Amino acid sequence: MLKYILKKILAMIPMLLLISMIVFFGLQLTGVDPINFMVSPDVLSANAANVEALRDSLGLNDPVIVQYFHWLGKVVTGDLGYSFDGSSIAETIAVRLPYTFELAGWSLLLSAIIGVGIGILSAIRQNGIIDYVGRVLAVFGQAVPQFLVGIILIQILSIQLGWFPAGNRVSPGAASAFIDAVQHLFLPVLTLTIGMVAVLMRYARNTTLDVLNSDYIKTARSKGIPEWKVYLKHGFRNAMKPVLVIVLFRIPMLVGGSVVIESVFSYPGIGLTMTNAITSGDYPVVLITTLIIAAAMLICSFMVDVLNALLDPRVRLGE
Amino acid sequence: MESKELILEVKKLNTTFVSDKKETRIVKDVSFAVKRGTTLAVVGESGCSKSVTMNSIMRFLGRNAKVEAESIRFTAKRADGTAEPHQLEGIKNPNGAEMRALRGPQMSMVFQDPMSSLNPVYKVGDQVAEGLIQHTGISKKQAREQVLELFPRLGIPDPESRIDCYPHQFSGGMKQRVVIAIAMICNPELIICDEPTTALDVTIQAQIMELLKKLQVENGKSIILITHNMGLVAEMADEVCVMYMGRVVEFGSLEDIFDHPSHPYTKALLRSVPVLGLADGQKLETIPGITPNPADLKPGCEFADRCAECTERCRGANIPAYEIAPGHRVRCVQFDHFPEVD
Repeated sequence: MLKYILKKILAMIPMLLLISMIVFFGLQLTGVDPINFMVSPDVLSANAANVEALRDSLGLNDPVIVQYFHWLGKVVTGDLGYSFDGSSIAETIAVRLPYTFELAGWSLLLSAIIGVGIGILSAIRQNGIIDYVGRVLAVFGQAVPQFLVGIILIQILSIQLGWFPAGNRVSPGAASAFIDAVQHLFLPVLTLTIGMVAVLMRYARNTTLDVLNSDYIKTARSKGIPEWKVYLKHGFRNAMKPVLVIVLFRIPMLVGGSVVIESVFSYPGIGLTMTNAITSGDYPVVLITTLIIAAAMLICSFMVDVLNALLDPRVRLGE
Repeated sequence: MESKELILEVKKLNTTFVSDKKETRIVKDVSFAVKRGTTLAVVGESGCSKSVTMNSIMRFLGRNAKVEAESIRFTAKRADGTAEPHQLEGIKNPNGAEMRALRGPQMSMVFQDPMSSLNPVYKVGDQVAEGLIQHTGISKKQAREQVLELFPRLGIPDPESRIDCYPHQFSGGMKQRVVIAIAMICNPELIICDEPTTALDVTIQAQIMELLKKLQVENGKSIILITHNMGLVAEMADEVCVMYMGRVVEFGSLEDIFDHPSHPYTKALLRSVPVLGLADGQKLETIPGITPNPADLKPGCEFADRCAECTERCRGANIPAYEIAPGHRVRCVQFDHFPEVD
């Protein structure tokens, strides 16, 4: 088991390197010239020689491969570099990443509990009332785009009724940091949760149905054990294996994929940082945020592997 | 006659499935009985409701199934030898306490596919012990001792190391032995084997059947064997129940069925069994046509459309069973000069 985990961790390193290379070289192709952000255009044409000297000193005339390793060397030692607006990327990330984690964490927790709960209940009482309502809601939740849900919620709950702030994460001068956080998080968390509950509900329902119809559930019943044991001991663990994969793979989607929702709510997380950086061509920031999302993806898939091995002896012993 | 009393007696069992508010009757007026310490084989081609009948008795069917019967009487034997009858037809909750008390210590089931009958995430020993702990309340350690004792009797070698294996580390035949162990661990009187060897290869089939036979002879178990393998029937059965489209078409002792098959379906079934020494170029007989869809059956005999001896009377509404010899019942109008039985 330990060997299995170590192997998985070691496999993450080349993956991360490869991703950083693709992103780094890919961004070179966009043709953004950092000099344009540092020097105003009229000065640029007049002082061609000075600009060339600046290029040299910044290492921009080096071959791309040299630039890459130069950058990589710094990132590995913790120096994430500077944004084109001059701010330290590390500082920005340190402020904004926790906000994103906050948003992602609550949405994930709530949607997992609600979605999986409803999914299991509707599978146990297939074609019952919960199943019926749940299925209709699932179609709705998956069909309506999240940004639309967000805009509708803002329109009704914050503009019309004024119950919640329409955006941002912190209000200056709020009396209680906790209440302030709840108020700001409520709408974006709700928006993300609605979409994810729909997915998880359907998924949990289907896998639970599959498992409940399987032969070993009949074997369990043939032993004369009570129904709750049949469901919890024999059903739940097998049904949750695939659901767990879906839940965990929502994390990178939440870290990176709440890009749209963070924009709608002007929520200052990683997603908003990234969108802003992309629109302004701020590629050092794009590089780092992309890497963070890629790392989140890799870490989650590592967690999926480990949890799968813990839950399923076929994976654990078949290594 | 004490030893030959009936352990299970089913009268007019009807199972109906409801889907989209439409009811389809799958098991129709099925009556049969199993004598204590004997084997009843239930035969018939695929889709003739052999399994549904047994699952109706064990109440393993989903909520869309309606099980009704005039009587399902299961007679357990107390330790002092007196009979303890249970009427199963009146039990409302299929997974309630009454049914659960019977499943395991009184009646149990061995399923068709050992590959999917075991829970992949638990050790085989724990899966076998689960029922024992449930019904006796003994400790995990004591249960483990009993499992270790049972495994070698079922031909599972090296129980000390095998007990902590997971199902995927077992071969198909070994898995089926574990499934049998699950069925046997509480020492039930009646074991229903639903095509226990269909998913296994031929040599393993023989071993598993030998094992079941041995358990029956040594421990006096009663077995219901669902199969479509006539060879197994000849080897194992004391009595045979031939089913077609949810009905018992013929019921009798092994000799009755093999030596005096009377229903046209039974005869056709026996003719379609391959035998050694089939002449060159001689084709194996098949039964013409396919089993009809149970949802659109016409009145009268279900086999009429495929039957070579079909007459106008076979299309009549109600065909009873006739007793053509003591204990030998046939549901065919050819025998209407014999007394009717229900």
